[in-house]
Amino acid sequence: MKSPHLALVGFAATSLLRRKARTLTLVVGLAASVALLASVFFVTGALRDEARRVRGAAPDLVVQKLVGGRPSVLDPSLAPTIARIPGVKQVVPRVWGYLFLASIQSNVAVVGSSSRGPLALSAGRDLQVGERGTCVLGKELADTLGLRLGDHLIFPLPGHRAADSVVVGLFSSDVSLYTSDVALVADEDARLILGVPRESAVDLAVELTNPDESQVAARKLGELFPGARVVEKRVLDRTLALVYGRRAGFVLGASLPALLALFVLAWDRAAGLAPSERREIAILKACGWSTSDVLRVKLYEAFVVAFAGGALGIVLAYLWSFPFGAPGLREVLSGWAVLYPRTHLVPSVDGAQVLSVLALVTAPFLALSVGPAWRAAGVDPLEALREG
Amino acid sequence: MSRLGLLVHVFGAALVVALLAIPLHARQQRAARAVLDAPVSATVARLPSGDFALSGSGRHLRHISLAEPGAAFADVVAGPDGDPAGGALAPPRDTFPEATP
Repeated sequence: MKSPHLALVGFAATSLLRRKARTLTLVVGLAASVALLASVFFVTGALRDEARRVRGAAPDLVVQKLVGGRPSVLDPSLAPTIARIPGVKQVVPRVWGYLFLASIQSNVAVVGSSSRGPLALSAGRDLQVGERGTCVLGKELADTLGLRLGDHLIFPLPGHRAADSVVVGLFSSDVSLYTSDVALVADEDARLILGVPRESAVDLAVELTNPDESQVAARKLGELFPGARVVEKRVLDRTLALVYGRRAGFVLGASLPALLALFVLAWDRAAGLAPSERREIAILKACGWSTSDVLRVKLYEAFVVAFAGGALGIVLAYLWSFPFGAPGLREVLSGWAVLYPRTHLVPSVDGAQVLSVLALVTAPFLALSVGPAWRAAGVDPLEALREG
Repeated sequence: MSRLGLLVHVFGAALVVALLAIPLHARQQRAARAVLDAPVSATVARLPSGDFALSGSGRHLRHISLAEPGAAFADVVAGPDGDPAGGALAPPRDTFPEATP
């Protein structure tokens, strides 16, 4: 024998199908709102996850020199002094900067290859030690300039001069998010292209034996070099977690009126019973249905609509965010670029998040339906049938 | 059961299956990406920072964590602009200064 609860759920579903247009409108409207909300959560989570993924690769401290509030080049001979600070494992002077290429109306990040280590490449090879006149390019940069392995990239220099560089490697698309606008060259080539004097460096990358002591080391550095700016990785980690949440909050705040409007519509829909609905309830009660049965059916109807709309919205959000890359939304949440990295974001979604979004939608929808459902259940069958 | 009812049942079942598949697919994607963690981290270690190759509206420059502390809207370290619309709308590229050839 069929369970009474299942029978009531089946009746609720049939009842919704009898009012197809209204049901479909609510489900589609709810799905659209949930899709937008869930997409913001999914894309923000993926960006945070991606940023967290490479945090370990960044130096524990970066030391810059400030002149007039702006970063300036510094003397790399500071490096041995800093290296003698207890807890400092390694200090690497770095040469990097931006070069504006008028042909693509974009800045290129010219990075001197001061450290060694494997590169994620899709083609070609890494720079060799001591090699000059060669470069490894980001995928989007190479594609925009129409360059392939073996081609020459001419870097414009001041005074109507140019630096010729042969493309020996191309970064993989897996690292496009970080390298789309990067031209990795030898340190000496970077100095030539950027105009950084031989006896200078752009900043110092400091590695610590114990990263938890970065605050102490940063304070010590500030005392030793009063004009320096010390950027701690620890602070960056905390700020990034807040920053993406803040951007997501702005977008959600702008979308909230749409979701609230939908809930008001749903409440308005449920609050007023159509004459056909009143007659239906009257007949059911006349046939022996209790008030609690009618109440349960109304709540099941609300649950089915909320679940269907919420689930459809979550599925649409996932498809929009990841296979399609959230066009229109991703730029708002992550930023813009002329050489835009086309890396697909990897979802950080888990079962708990899916359930949370579903509950976030279903619970208020059900709560809004309780009052109207109670009113519906309290319909007097004789009065309703007399009204015809 | 009517055709519409059957359709609704099938749609509902597909929806539930899709919902259950989402976390599984996400986990599979993360596992596939984890294989690339080492080369990605090694590549990023040779760059100035782990910042994305993206800009905010305030400064129009990359490596936001190392940008000028006095720049407009850079009110927090590594903070992109507070106006997400600035991230969606790039400044007019025609106004970019042209480099001296």
